[in-house]
Amino acid sequence: MKKLVAMIIVLILAVSLCVSLVACEKEKGIVIHVLENDTAKKEGYLDVLLAAFNDKYKDQNVTAVDANMDEYSDLEKDGPYGFGPDVLYQANDILMKYVEGKHILPINIQQLDCYKQVPQNAWDAYKATVDGKTVYCGVPVNVQQPLLYYRKDMLPANWQTEYDKNSNGIPDMVEFWTEMYAYSKNIREQDSSKFGFALNLTNEYFNSGFLFSYGAYVFGDNNTNDKDIGMNVGNAKLGGKIIWDLAGIMDLKCADDSFTNSRTTMLAQGTIFANICTPDITSQFLKELAAEYKKQGLSEAEAVKKANENLVITTLPKLPKDGDITVRQDVTDESLWIAQKTMGGINGYGISSYAKDREWSLKFVEFATSAEMIAKRQEMLGVVPARADVVALSDNEATKITFSNLDDGTLVVMPSISSVRTIWSPISSCFKTIATDGCKDKKFTINDIQSELDKMVQNIKNQLTILQ
Amino acid sequence: MKKPAMRSKKIADCFLTYAILVVVSMVFLFPILWLVLSCFSASGSIYSFNGFFPTEYSFDSFKTLFTDTVMYNYISWFGYTLLVAVVSSVIGTLLVILTAFTISSFQFSGRKFLMKGALVLGMFPSFMGMIAVYLLMTQFGFINSHIGLALIYAGGAPMGYLVQKGFFDTIPNSIYEAARIDGASNLHIFCKITLPLSKPIIVYTLLTQFAWPWSDFVLPKLLLKDRDLWTVAVGLMSLPETEFARFAAGSVFIAVPIVILYFFLSKYMINGLSAGAVKE
Amino acid sequence: MDKTVKKQNIFVKTGNFFKKKFADIKAFFKRAGRETYASMALMGMGQILNGQYIKGLVFFLLEAAFVAYFATVGVADFIGFFTLGTVKGDAWLGIEGDDSVIMLLRGIVAWFAIAILVVLYFANLKDANKYAEIKGLKAMPSFKDDLTTLLNKNFYKVALILPIVGVLVFNVFPIVFMILIAFTNYGTVVPPELVDWSVKDSFGKLVALGELSQTFFKILGWNLLWAVVSTFANYFLGLGLALLYNKKCVKGKAIWRAFPILAYAVPGFITLLAFKFMFSNGGPINNMIVSNGGQIVDFLGVNSKWMARGIGFFVNAWLSVPSIMLLATGILTNINGDLYEAAKIDGANKLVQFRKITLPFVIFSTTPVLISQFIGNFNNFGVFYFLRSGMVSDGYVAASDTDLLINWLYRLSIDNNYYAVGAAISLIIFIITSVLSLIVYVRSSSYKKEDTFR
Repeated sequence: MKKLVAMIIVLILAVSLCVSLVACEKEKGIVIHVLENDTAKKEGYLDVLLAAFNDKYKDQNVTAVDANMDEYSDLEKDGPYGFGPDVLYQANDILMKYVEGKHILPINIQQLDCYKQVPQNAWDAYKATVDGKTVYCGVPVNVQQPLLYYRKDMLPANWQTEYDKNSNGIPDMVEFWTEMYAYSKNIREQDSSKFGFALNLTNEYFNSGFLFSYGAYVFGDNNTNDKDIGMNVGNAKLGGKIIWDLAGIMDLKCADDSFTNSRTTMLAQGTIFANICTPDITSQFLKELAAEYKKQGLSEAEAVKKANENLVITTLPKLPKDGDITVRQDVTDESLWIAQKTMGGINGYGISSYAKDREWSLKFVEFATSAEMIAKRQEMLGVVPARADVVALSDNEATKITFSNLDDGTLVVMPSISSVRTIWSPISSCFKTIATDGCKDKKFTINDIQSELDKMVQNIKNQLTILQ
Repeated sequence: MKKPAMRSKKIADCFLTYAILVVVSMVFLFPILWLVLSCFSASGSIYSFNGFFPTEYSFDSFKTLFTDTVMYNYISWFGYTLLVAVVSSVIGTLLVILTAFTISSFQFSGRKFLMKGALVLGMFPSFMGMIAVYLLMTQFGFINSHIGLALIYAGGAPMGYLVQKGFFDTIPNSIYEAARIDGASNLHIFCKITLPLSKPIIVYTLLTQFAWPWSDFVLPKLLLKDRDLWTVAVGLMSLPETEFARFAAGSVFIAVPIVILYFFLSKYMINGLSAGAVKE
Repeated sequence: MDKTVKKQNIFVKTGNFFKKKFADIKAFFKRAGRETYASMALMGMGQILNGQYIKGLVFFLLEAAFVAYFATVGVADFIGFFTLGTVKGDAWLGIEGDDSVIMLLRGIVAWFAIAILVVLYFANLKDANKYAEIKGLKAMPSFKDDLTTLLNKNFYKVALILPIVGVLVFNVFPIVFMILIAFTNYGTVVPPELVDWSVKDSFGKLVALGELSQTFFKILGWNLLWAVVSTFANYFLGLGLALLYNKKCVKGKAIWRAFPILAYAVPGFITLLAFKFMFSNGGPINNMIVSNGGQIVDFLGVNSKWMARGIGFFVNAWLSVPSIMLLATGILTNINGDLYEAAKIDGANKLVQFRKITLPFVIFSTTPVLISQFIGNFNNFGVFYFLRSGMVSDGYVAASDTDLLINWLYRLSIDNNYYAVGAAISLIIFIITSVLSLIVYVRSSSYKKEDTFR
């Protein structure tokens, strides 16, 4: 027994030694460590990108490799000690928090090939003022915006007569929140185990848009002044009321992660009709839906085709100007409606200040943001590109919507200052309180909702004071 | 008259005992059973369950667990965790046993101070020191190093010496005195008398030290940057919640060896405690 | 062993202590011969004069090593401890600059080195003096003799050296680091900015921001309640279970015992995540309730303060009762069977036997368990981190009403980088809890009467 244990230990030690020796083998030439997000890696885009880059520069003694780290690794903790990636892909709020400590490099964007193709709004997400100078520290790759996902085959058979009052060929319930509310309520009344619209209402990213639509904002001065928090100003409470109302057509599953974790399954099984999501999850929706169709007896190809046909991704419905979604209003009168604003993000590449070779890192970024690679990315991941030329070539409706939303201000890009990290859990908790009351006690008045919003702003302020 | 009454009381008592036993066993079994069944769920998501249990069963989760290693390299995580667990449990147990034995059977100046010190240090929220541990490890070049990780586990282990000391406190002094009269040195006493007597507590310590790296994820997350070098706990935690079946499969797979070890050794732990002790 | 402690005024005590030390030092110098002075000048010289060459050489080499350390990096590190850096780094321009946090770290190492050197130095003096006095009277112990003593009389020194080094490096050192962080502005500024010594950024903020101290006291209260209740509940549940399995009428003990052992063997984070899923609004428990015609119960929701806390107690018991059960079972079989026989002859019934024999023995042997359980529960990070994280409750700053101090600290320092404030809070908690547990510990019978059952 003793001998056996000792042998096992020795064996393990020996193996580990070998492993570490192998790992120590010197890498040759210039190596660019690229940290992409999990989706890009999982769907194989990262491999395509790296292979294309390495192929193009194969004579230059340079290779780009996967940094193979957690996608949320903290550059501030890794970089200075030499463990960080050289090039990293992240959303603008995460990337830009590194600017203060100069952990990511400013980029001379005018010289980039994509400079003219990316709208100024997207560039602004990477703008910062350091030492009195305006710098840009990232290169936009795609635009993230919550979109409405619904199943065409779950529409009522008579939708053209009953749910298309403005006769534009688009079902009213995916066009107007009041209709969505009425339709969902109807579904719930017929079968309490089914839902019309279902969403995790505690999600700060998807639901802040309701407040934005009625005048709220995160930070003042275009999201740069953290002394001014505007999540409770104007008619923000109407947005809060909408969250409260929406909770009424769901059940308590809307007040925790349940709908987020189950959205793809539930949509595929027909438990829910519509959901809000970001484009990076599209492939999962399609996969599950196709699997479900296959179970019903379709062949693989048919199932995939049917899934692609029936899963519709579109812009969010319009909100009533008066903020009451529980009462159906005249959908033909344009003046009664406002477009829903949503919180969005610009995902892009940044270059670590600790990159071993800055020039090649920049070259990699330039390569990865070329029209060709961005188009490939869109094709493989279903994301919305930040390049106008790629969008113009695309035949995807959702892509065009999101891209134009970026221009007209319907898409509110999340703040890029470091204080942004304090906002998430207070917002989510506030939404959670509102949603819980909305589907359980139903006691809140509009004033209670206002005071919940006030509390949320106070919570954010408290957290910020600790830092100052 | 008296006897039947006592007998029926005994039967009632027995019945009640078994009732409690059944309830307790159910409480312990249920979550585990649920976890085991969900790793055989065909759909992969727990939200397609029919009530408590999956609607369809398959081995797919296990298949993906071992074959789909691009993102989630389970096999490699498993190997590294095993390495860390073995190294830290061997070194850690040695340190704990030495500490507990010394504190239990020597009277020296500073002993009470050490005991109080260990107690007080244990009250400090451990991860607050983790920033320091991280910085320390960057200075030692121990980032991405499993030996470094194992050393941290083992190095901190003596803080939990109290249980072991409690055991040594119950070994009668007379044994030691007899040996000392025979002229045995303290090293000799430790090796030849204490160690054989304390097999149960050594096994207990080995096991607890061995099990810890399987469930800790804060420290390895901090120190192991490369995905392929992660330990199982970090890796499983990185799985998205939609992949619950895979998570469950990974969990059950690491739990199996530990469970088997426990079953083999728990008997030994429980029954062996009094085996070699000389009764006064 | 058992001393009667005279209640004396603490000032008189310390006064006497210093008087005695001073007298000792005076006496020491009076007795000191040339060997001692030689050692004072250069470590190990006295020993060499005493004829203990190897020992002298060891002392000398140690001194040389320390001198080398200080000459190369030690002095710079020591100065860095006070300045915390003077050159600000700029990664854009490739200026490396001073990393204040690393400088603090290295500064502490320098302090540790000085402390060790001082201890060695005095040990060297004492040793030189001791053997100078007996020189000529007795045979001088050779280096080999010294080694033998180390393995016998001084075995504890050898045995403890490794554990102490381990604990010093991986426990004491980080704690010292964090305590010092509480006196800086780390968090308000982070490297590459230069961190500075400051109290107003940590303790100052705690006092100035009323909500923060309110949150602190609320969480502290709940944390104490949690630690006490769950420790005792788990302890008695575990003991009860052990006694239950030990009952004569229970057949197939090994099988019954298997269930809790099963629970024990599955890594904690897995069961915690499983429990979170089970209690979630779309989880299996709620699914069952709904399919039986009930309403979804918001087990862990925003308004479910006490329900969530209750679930916390339950989950924690589920996780820790098995280990206590195992230990208690081991201890129960260790009770000397003769005691029961004797008691039976004396006519003691089962209950009396339990009260007079079982309970005192078990409590005696498991007090350490109780204390380590208390510490573990007080700093129980996992339960509420998994069950209910990411929530802010009314009247709390960056914490929910189930968060324990350790969860709060995690959020403050790891999630939000408020290091100095986090460190200040942990220092305060540290002081409170360590005083409390020291009092309990010193009064416990297993500390006062360690030899009861020997």
